[in-house]
Amino acid sequence: MSNLWVLNLGFAVLLVGVGLYCLLTMRNTVKLLIGIEVIAKGVTLALVAGGAARGNLMVAQSLAITVIVVDVAVIATALALVININRHTKSLDVRKLTRLKG
Amino acid sequence: MHLFLLIGLVAFSAVAILCRELLKSAISLAVASIFLALLLFEMGAVYAGVFELSVVAGLITVLFITAIALTRGDGDVAEGRAQRWVFPLFFLALAVVDVLVMRRLLGRIPAIQGSESGGFSQVLWNQRTFDLVGQVGVISAGVLAVLALFRREGGHGKGEGHE
Repeated sequence: MSNLWVLNLGFAVLLVGVGLYCLLTMRNTVKLLIGIEVIAKGVTLALVAGGAARGNLMVAQSLAITVIVVDVAVIATALALVININRHTKSLDVRKLTRLKG
Repeated sequence: MHLFLLIGLVAFSAVAILCRELLKSAISLAVASIFLALLLFEMGAVYAGVFELSVVAGLITVLFITAIALTRGDGDVAEGRAQRWVFPLFFLALAVVDVLVMRRLLGRIPAIQGSESGGFSQVLWNQRTFDLVGQVGVISAGVLAVLALFRREGGHGKGEGHE
């Protein structure tokens, strides 16, 4: 079971790394939200794997559900922001948002 | 089987990030969510798996596709040229570091404790009550934020766009 925990944790780190790469390099605002979603998947996997390894699966599940709910609220609000920004800038390019400065 | 699901999860997540078309990215993300839900089911986390499958693979994918449809034609953003070439190198370096760190962690895993008492609902309602209150607050804040973002100006007969 402990080896399985290490395997799950390793893949969760990979997911978080892939999501961070997306956040650091992409310019499309929808892609940035997809990166956040990938990071949330890594966090969910790590939480449940940790709970399963230590015998606290029910607590881990409740925390994972909390993460999912927060994630949905964040994505819904961020997508609404993206649609509103798109109406003004006619683009999904995050670099266009520099025009909002000052 | 477990390793296959983990590889599928990471692979479809990477495809979701690297794919040029946003619609394909959203669908790849949904497939990755299905892989994660299957993993959760396999680990015995049935409730988290159901949430992942219904909320993330279902609701969030619908939200993404709706947003992509509402911004149709504006989704072609020129990404950096080096980005596609850098990703395999970055992923390889991350995987090597990951394997080295996890190999060191193998002997330091916390001991498995006894199984917890009570079912999921008992744990959720009795031990994590504050989480539930927080979840209700977060959902309410999200709904209010979306309503505020899509509100229309009243009284002057103007929409929110001023093009």
